[in-house]
Amino acid sequence: MAEDLNWAIGGEAGDGIDSTGKIFAQALSRAGRHVFTSKDFASRIRGGYTAYKIRTSVDQVQSVVDRLDILVALTQRTIDENLDELHEGSAIIYDGERSWEAEIPDEMTAVDVPLKSLAEEAGGAIMRNIVALGAACEITGFDVEYLDESLEKRFGGKGSKIVENNKEAARKGQEYVQENYDVDHLGYNLETTDNDYVLLNGNEAIGMGAIAAGCRFYAGYPITPATSIMEYLTGRIEDYGGHVVQAEDELSAINMALGGARAGARSMTATSGAGVDLMTETFGLVATSETPLVIADVQRSGPSTGMPTKQEQGDLNMALYGGHGEVPRFVVAPTSIDECFWKTIEAFNLAEKYQTPVFLVSDLAMSVTEQTFPPEAFDMDEVEIDRGKLVDDDDEVDEWLDEQGRFRAHAVTDDGVSPRAIPGTTDGAHMSTGLEHDELGRRTEDEDERVQQVDKRNRKVETAKEQEGWEYREFGNEDADNLVITWGSNEGALAEALDYLEEDGVDVRVISVPYIFPRPDLTDEIEAAEETIVVECNATGQFADLLEHDALTRLKRINKYTGVRFKADELAEQITQKLSEEVPAQ
Amino acid sequence: MSSDVRFTDFKSDKQPTWCPGCGDFGTMNGMMKALAETGNDPDNTFVVAGIGCSGKIGTYMHSYALHGVHGRALPVGTGVKLARPDIEVMVAGGDGDGYSIGAGHFVHAVRRNVDMTYCVMDNRIYGLTKGQASPTSRSDFETSTTPEGTKQPPVNPLALALASGASFIAQSFASDALRHQEIVQEAIEHDGFGFVNVFSPCVTFNDVDTYDYFRDSLVDLDEEGHDPTDYEAAKEVILDGEKEYQGVMYKDENSVPYNEKHGVTEDMSEIPEGAPDDAMDLVREFY
Ligand SMILES: Cc1ncc(C[n+]2csc(CCOP(=O)(O)OP(=O)(O)O)c2C)c(N)n1
Ligand code: SF4
Ligand SMILES: [Mg+2]
Repeated sequence: MAEDLNWAIGGEAGDGIDSTGKIFAQALSRAGRHVFTSKDFASRIRGGYTAYKIRTSVDQVQSVVDRLDILVALTQRTIDENLDELHEGSAIIYDGERSWEAEIPDEMTAVDVPLKSLAEEAGGAIMRNIVALGAACEITGFDVEYLDESLEKRFGGKGSKIVENNKEAARKGQEYVQENYDVDHLGYNLETTDNDYVLLNGNEAIGMGAIAAGCRFYAGYPITPATSIMEYLTGRIEDYGGHVVQAEDELSAINMALGGARAGARSMTATSGAGVDLMTETFGLVATSETPLVIADVQRSGPSTGMPTKQEQGDLNMALYGGHGEVPRFVVAPTSIDECFWKTIEAFNLAEKYQTPVFLVSDLAMSVTEQTFPPEAFDMDEVEIDRGKLVDDDDEVDEWLDEQGRFRAHAVTDDGVSPRAIPGTTDGAHMSTGLEHDELGRRTEDEDERVQQVDKRNRKVETAKEQEGWEYREFGNEDADNLVITWGSNEGALAEALDYLEEDGVDVRVISVPYIFPRPDLTDEIEAAEETIVVECNATGQFADLLEHDALTRLKRINKYTGVRFKADELAEQITQKLSEEVPAQ
Repeated sequence: MSSDVRFTDFKSDKQPTWCPGCGDFGTMNGMMKALAETGNDPDNTFVVAGIGCSGKIGTYMHSYALHGVHGRALPVGTGVKLARPDIEVMVAGGDGDGYSIGAGHFVHAVRRNVDMTYCVMDNRIYGLTKGQASPTSRSDFETSTTPEGTKQPPVNPLALALASGASFIAQSFASDALRHQEIVQEAIEHDGFGFVNVFSPCVTFNDVDTYDYFRDSLVDLDEEGHDPTDYEAAKEVILDGEKEYQGVMYKDENSVPYNEKHGVTEDMSEIPEGAPDDAMDLVREFY
């Protein structure tokens, strides 16, 4: 593990914390360093506190740790909130001229920089955070010119004067520290590399994946933390002939997307749990009318309004079982930010190949975390589009007409998948309905036809199970006695926990599963392991329940439902402890 | 689109199960004729039907169609039209579907002004669930769930549309076949959201809003010399608490439909076989 640095800026909401953090993250990325960011919104004390944290290394970083080396504190509370992560070697940058008396533990290095005054000298108090970034550069031995590039990107659109003022502000912070502090003793010296990286979060990856996959129609209703998918697509999807519409509610959003899909467009909606509740009304219709639709659920803490800006993986059961009656669906849960891109593309292909709704389940942690990747991680040449049994020429349509020339949109086939004709296709006109229907889409209550249609819809899942890969990712030692299984965004923390475990001499095999339904059968892996632990961000262990059911055995569980994602070091500790506990009763 | 389309081409071979004499027969016939008359054919037409006796129209017509969830027909129609501006979209449903469970969508569909047609088959009753009060039922109309009447004023759908910024508001009567067809035709031809409230009597559960009632009371705006492009005149007939009218109440001649305003003009069903050519630009944005 190359040495990493953990940096943060914190203050009140409205202090520009996010944008300042992003500027520094971008500068590090420009310098060929890997970056992994996280955001603290609400608080353990009272509302208003917000922080942007960066972990950076020359190696790939994919998790947060319980450690903070450099903290830019705009308020005392920023210091108090982070006391348990700060350590002896930490440096805290603050503005001593401000009205608050900074209380900084003696063992830490207090770097008092007149942020506001220096910013005013550079052209305006609004740039005080940029002064702090300059100071941080000096402390970490990081070339301030990388910051210049990032400032150009951020402020370029506002004119060269603003850019120059900001660069000046950064210089002032840097020089102030140089002149007044001997920070060399802290020993930070950030290496740079020639690598080019892109920096993006999970929602941006989902949005980009949607455009790459040919999604042209998006309907949504704003909800944290899904809104940024909609915001990403707005202003971009139009360049590809698409459109984003803001619906009046989620009931409408999913029905609009359904309309777009029936009209033949690759269509999508995204929401969070509370929105999925409303969309569930229409879910059965999507499935039984055999409409290809991608529904993204960026999970947040529930139930009800829960903790809207906090992490949780509590919607698994809803994605799997939501809605009345029995309808097939696919549930895909990307395990990392780059996978948010690829799994979105796959979700669109699955939806059209099997004419089935696909839940794309992500979560808050992934949606706000920005991470660096080499651009090849999103190689557009690798994107494959499979539209399934779309019949668009007359001959193909003819094959699927009955004796009276009527299109059999729900034809009963061996693989369960019927031909699909979209409006405008000659002789393809047909009805689809939420009522049980015959092959033509017309209402039926005939027992045989009912059974045929139910079986046909379920057969699509069987076909997909056979035809698709449903692969999972593995880390650690394949032959280890102990197995740890997880799903969704915990993968990064778990992969990094392996380093800590190795240091402690604990050997484990890690399996990270991106498919919830259908899902890989892990029975053999579980049986081969002496101990299996399932890690997830919810209280009841919804994924563990599924695996226990699959493998017909009891598994150990690590559950976190504080609203904060797993950290690598914390997870390593918990795994070690779990392994020493008794196996639960059979 | 072929010019030799007959309205019967829009008829499916499924026999309607509506009660004999139900207004929905006439409502549907007029809609089919209007669609054929405006140069549409079943393969380029998408009908979205609500849930109710009225919603069965999707089954009895032949076209691309979706018979969806109770109250959500308008959002489906919106999605179809935005994804496929080349397709003629006709949405139909009941008064309960449109003004009760789907009332929120009605307001916003009107505001959005997507170029489609919405025919509400208004029988002032819940037909399919066998005779409960609907949002357009008279306040003293006794039903199984409102034995003393609703004691609430009925919704005035025309006024609701007007207040929501409608660009086309009309009302027709299923049994005045010619006028009904003309009015629906005008709604189809309108550039924007063409809304028609169609009186479509329920002969089984509503014994007050009957054919006779409408025949005797309806005033035809054409005969009154009403100018539908005159907003003030439209307001007057729409808010007139005394008389009921048929005809086009309001028509904004300068209406610009949503698709045009937002430049949504492409057929979204056609996509490349891989990522779009310049998709790598999207990645580079994140440098
Ligand atoms: C979510 C939901 N709630 C209730 C129903 C039952 N339901 C079916 S149609 C209907 C009302 C129909 O009234 P209207 O829309 O006026 O149509 P009509 O039958 O009069 O044509 C109701 C309440 C349903 N199908 N779905
Ligand atoms: S119950 Fe009324 S609305 Fe329904 S079919 Fe019969 S007459 Fe028509
Ligand atoms: Mg009704």
